[in-house]
Amino acid sequence: MEVVIFACQQAVPEPEALRNLWDRGEVRLRVLAEPCSSKVEAFQLLRTLATSVDLVWVIGCEERLCRYDEGSHRAGGRMAYTKRYLQEIGLEPARVGRSVLTPGDQAALAAIVAEIDKRLQSLGPSPLRQAPNAAARRSVP
Amino acid sequence: MPAKYHIHVRRVPPRFSPVAKSTIIDWGEGCLRCTRCVKEQCPVDAYRKRGFDRSQFVDTIDEICRDCYRCVQGCPRELIFKAANPQFGQVGDEYWTPEILAATWYQAETGKIPVSGAGYGGPFAGPGFDSFWTDMSEIVRPTRDGIHGREYISTSIDLGRKPMFLTFDDQGELEWTPPPLLELPLPILLAQPSLGANPGRMQEIIVQAAHSLGTLAILARDRLVPVPAETTGRIMPSYTAGSLNLDDPLLSQVRALEILDHPQVLEQVEALKKRYPELIVSIKVPADGQVVCRVAELTAAGAEIIHIYASEQARGLGDCQDQHLKDLIRRCHLRLVEDQLRDTVTLLVSGGIALAEHVAKAIICGADAIIVDLPLLLALECRLCRQCAQNGPCPVEIDKLTVKRGAQRQINLMGAWNNQLLEILGAMGMREVRRLRGEVGRAMFIEDLEKEIFAPLFAQREGEALKREPT
Repeated sequence: MEVVIFACQQAVPEPEALRNLWDRGEVRLRVLAEPCSSKVEAFQLLRTLATSVDLVWVIGCEERLCRYDEGSHRAGGRMAYTKRYLQEIGLEPARVGRSVLTPGDQAALAAIVAEIDKRLQSLGPSPLRQAPNAAARRSVP
Repeated sequence: MPAKYHIHVRRVPPRFSPVAKSTIIDWGEGCLRCTRCVKEQCPVDAYRKRGFDRSQFVDTIDEICRDCYRCVQGCPRELIFKAANPQFGQVGDEYWTPEILAATWYQAETGKIPVSGAGYGGPFAGPGFDSFWTDMSEIVRPTRDGIHGREYISTSIDLGRKPMFLTFDDQGELEWTPPPLLELPLPILLAQPSLGANPGRMQEIIVQAAHSLGTLAILARDRLVPVPAETTGRIMPSYTAGSLNLDDPLLSQVRALEILDHPQVLEQVEALKKRYPELIVSIKVPADGQVVCRVAELTAAGAEIIHIYASEQARGLGDCQDQHLKDLIRRCHLRLVEDQLRDTVTLLVSGGIALAEHVAKAIICGADAIIVDLPLLLALECRLCRQCAQNGPCPVEIDKLTVKRGAQRQINLMGAWNNQLLEILGAMGMREVRRLRGEVGRAMFIEDLEKEIFAPLFAQREGEALKREPT
């Protein structure tokens, strides 16, 4: 299984710390550092989920601490939109998730990792993996 | 006059989106729906062409964007921003910086010299190769027809032992056969990097590139994969101390080989030369504390080529880790000049040669040619994540790259480097790279300049007391 985390660089200054917290070797974790969680657009979340990824997560700052003032707020709106969209097309909205934390809060980060792990265990592999054209979709560059 | 040496570059687009230096943050939710949106006025049409890279999960808009800031400035509700891309800062390391990687990717894709645009915002001096400048005093006007229109500037070098004099018999014939020489059209040899997924494929790519460029590919003999017969002559097999077998069939098919230095290396070279007199032998010497003495010793004993290898960060090895490769080359060169043997031997250097300017600077310090390794891997879109060293998956699937595509990207990189070398030589008023060797008069060392400029300002005047005496 595979998890992709889009992490705001203010909220998670060291993506390596996030990787180190992840102890499930059988699940591939990819952490992509972003300048702000609002960099990640809804289409990016959906297209990521359409690959071989089982869970997509966005980590941002608390709204009052966002460097771009409105960035975290907008990221929340996009997440809600993405969930609604997934529900509308008959997929599990829980395949995408979002957490906010105070920058540098290691305990909160560990709690987020635990939450991601728990969510992944409850969801299992993405149904898109078993879709008939999944192999072809994965091979498209 | 011989035909001009020309490297045929051809654009090879990347298979994966290169990591962009900056990124666009687009808050489309608050859009006013202007009649003419700034996104439609993008000069490179980035908003229409943008896509999604499925392997890296990134929006490809940053790859297309040319940082003109037209959209950022033009949006009436200020919904578009540009920010530094944190993913860019994570590629490479302290020496192989993201900027070096990005410049290498660009050159491998286009074969063109990277131009940074208006103004230079970076520092003018730094450690290592950045501690001296090349003297471009011969630039008097922009050339009308570029580097290819000038009088021919030769980048050829000779590999092998050069006799200091010739002797002739009564009939005017040479009394002895001069040692073999191999002329290369550019002062760069290719070598296999220590990293890389699918090393066998990498060897094929490097040999193919060396064949097209007319240079040699240094490859470890014990890991050599079969290559097309017409390219075998471009291989320079590298042997470790005990692995050389005189019955190796490859020895009769190649022009040169390399042996790692060891106490009996000279005896080994002698036996080899007795059986294969036309072979040119290079001795690979570590750039450690003994390098200067060892280079002088081997040269005096008749070595043809000496390859000095340093660390990946252009630092010395062993007890010389605090010294930069340029200083070690310079010391070896000056020692050979002192011994009046410099012209007899070919000095090759490797380790930390990351940019085109490093080629010229290593030659200025005293090398005849350089050996490039890691940039050949970077040319194949490598992110230098070093996962391949732990048998991890390659994020840019170098193992699946075709030989043709990979070789052309390496040829493009060497084409761009060669053009930059020609620019440097042209700006120095030189027509031959052979003349650049050890030519420190064509370089300005920051340390010397600082002494020259600031020392007189702060020096104590003769006879002047340190403190003013009380009146």
